[in-house]
Amino acid sequence: MTTPFLATPASWPAILLGRVKALEANPWDLDAAVRAGAFEGLKAAVRTGATGTIAEVGASGLRGRGGGGYPTGDKWRAAASSAAEQRYVIANGYGADPATQIDAALLAADPWSVIEGLVIAAFAVGATEAYLIVRGDDTALATRLVAAVAEAEEAGFIGDDVAGSGHRVNVIVRGLQGSYMLGEETVLIRALEGRRAAPDQRPPYPTERGLWDRPTVVNNILTLAAVPWILKNGAAAFASVGAPDAPGTALVQLRGPGGAGIAEVPLGTPLGDIASLAGGAGGRPLKALIVGGPTGGFLPADALGTPYAFAPLRDAGAHMGSGSIVIADDRACVVDLARLLTRFSADQACGKSIPCRIGLRRLSEIADRATAGTTRAGDAQLAADLSHDVGASALCDHERTATLALASVLRYFRSELDDHMLRSTCPAGVCTPIAVAAGAASRGASA
Amino acid sequence: MTTVPGMGLIRGMGLTLGRFFAPKATIMWPEEEADVAPRFRGRLQLLYDEYGTLKCETCFQCAQACPIECIDMGGVDTRGRFHVHWGPPETYGERREESAMRRAGRPVADPAFTRFDPMDVTPVNAIAEEHDYEPKDLLPMLEGIQAAYGYLPVAALKQLSRQTGAWYAFVYGTASSFNHLRFEPPAVTTAAPAGEALRSAEAGYVSALDAALGGRPTR
Ligand SMILES: Cc1cc2nc3c(=O)[nH]c(=O)nc-3n(C[C@H](O)[C@H](O)[C@H](O)COP(=O)(O)O)c2cc1C
Ligand code: SF4
Ligand code: FES
Repeated sequence: MTTPFLATPASWPAILLGRVKALEANPWDLDAAVRAGAFEGLKAAVRTGATGTIAEVGASGLRGRGGGGYPTGDKWRAAASSAAEQRYVIANGYGADPATQIDAALLAADPWSVIEGLVIAAFAVGATEAYLIVRGDDTALATRLVAAVAEAEEAGFIGDDVAGSGHRVNVIVRGLQGSYMLGEETVLIRALEGRRAAPDQRPPYPTERGLWDRPTVVNNILTLAAVPWILKNGAAAFASVGAPDAPGTALVQLRGPGGAGIAEVPLGTPLGDIASLAGGAGGRPLKALIVGGPTGGFLPADALGTPYAFAPLRDAGAHMGSGSIVIADDRACVVDLARLLTRFSADQACGKSIPCRIGLRRLSEIADRATAGTTRAGDAQLAADLSHDVGASALCDHERTATLALASVLRYFRSELDDHMLRSTCPAGVCTPIAVAAGAASRGASA
Repeated sequence: MTTVPGMGLIRGMGLTLGRFFAPKATIMWPEEEADVAPRFRGRLQLLYDEYGTLKCETCFQCAQACPIECIDMGGVDTRGRFHVHWGPPETYGERREESAMRRAGRPVADPAFTRFDPMDVTPVNAIAEEHDYEPKDLLPMLEGIQAAYGYLPVAALKQLSRQTGAWYAFVYGTASSFNHLRFEPPAVTTAAPAGEALRSAEAGYVSALDAALGGRPTR
């Protein structure tokens, strides 16, 4: 893994990366991991029993790190209470955002916390099959994970008798490869079934009818990696970390002129503090933070105090998404960046719902025109209306968030957008006619 | 045919009257579902409007709804710019990621077609010779071909048919009867060629992002 972990202040708790130091020599060494406390959470879960485990996770206030922020305890309870002869748990380590390496980095630095969390989840909801999904093109990682699961099975943490509980849990590692959409839970389920990769209408939620129509819990691997810690240290300890309505920590990937890397941050930390972990804007004036990956929102420099948590980000017009925070300094053009993001989102959309397939395309064309200096009358209004309509008619969350880039530029960077749209000028000097020509050429090249 | 004037009218009215009091056949869908044979599949028909142009606007709803995913569909978006396509081959995991690209209007190298490209068949010839061109040895020959290419390319099967004199359908049929023989490269090792379009789209996004941040590669 080339992406480094960034140093964080000593006062920040290390829940997800707590064992990374101890495993530095060889992250795949099960004995070293056990010495460092791995699978103690599982033993605690077995002692507490399934219902108790769900209650504990619920009491901790843990919410999904896959973007949606759904309370994990509620999700597990829903799956556990759906009547079925078989249930499934899926760890979503697909890591859809190509510019974010968080999932792969965590799996490479401490695979055991994810495996342990997955087994606990399966034990708690009564699933005998648990899937661990990783990127298919990272065959080295997938192969290592298969070996790690086999080792844990040998040691009795997985298999016919999980940690002496009498419960059976099989862990299956699957590499899947596809578009950005494959990270979405219903798409992931369809892909596992070998079906066309397009989202399904929810409800019914996967917890009711998921993989092979059985109740299925889909959790991000960061969500699962926090579970062993909760069971070992107690729900109260976890709830005391981070923001009151969003306890715990999350991994973010920073990327900007000042540096790049992955860091574990308590939820609720102001965006400014997070950005400075990677050197902020590298000494230049900060212009915007793009929070949430390709479908993220653009936040201006005066939003640096916004807490990194679900509700404040949503109110500000961004979301946690893939955990990516891109720092743009004054050399960057937010309109050009929004064009890039919108184009990517439109290209990756599955095409199942019409407002998304055509609306996102038209939005990206409006952005294209803005950067090319060929804006038409009414484009700004059209962009605002379209973003609203596309978001409001969404089938899956992609559509709901893919409009955030342009919508947040409209909201916070209106004067810069007007410069492009009304005066055909680019204050940052990125979208000069020459740059536009080059931009068109590079678009052609990537086509 | 009677010639009594108005008889046709009276018959017609009689029919109406009869139907009027007959039990209604309206099905209160969706509360009620029609009782059709389980294998009933209806019939697909594309309708034309009064100008003679296809009414289908390639919305994919039919392809989406099709339970056995047998509907293929292609078209061009309203402005003739983006070719959109959807079809059954995409149900195969190996190609799924490209379908997203294809639908997004991007040219995608299609492995189903490149599989018909000219290829080096010397390994096939050697295997056929080794088995004395004996059609009864089809299975070991097919296994040899799979060992040589990693899977059974169409061109290799055709060459084998030519070499042994066995019908292509026989060669193909034999190959398709065995679970361990495959017509597509195995999923894991094909990740590279099959994912090329996807990968380049992702790499394009990441490098454009970096470029937009000041040209400094940060990955
Ligand atoms: C377009 C799209 C892409 C997504 N990609 C991912 C992903 O790469 N990894 C992930 O964990 N969740 C992803 N999600 C969210 C999942 O649908 C799902 O909510 C999540 O895996 C649930 O886990 P959690 O409850 O632990 O957050 C994506 C959602 C959408 C709409
Ligand atoms: S919102 Fe877009 S990406 Fe999601 S299902 Fe609809 S068309 Fe597909
Ligand atoms: S009308 Fe043909 S695809 Fe919808």
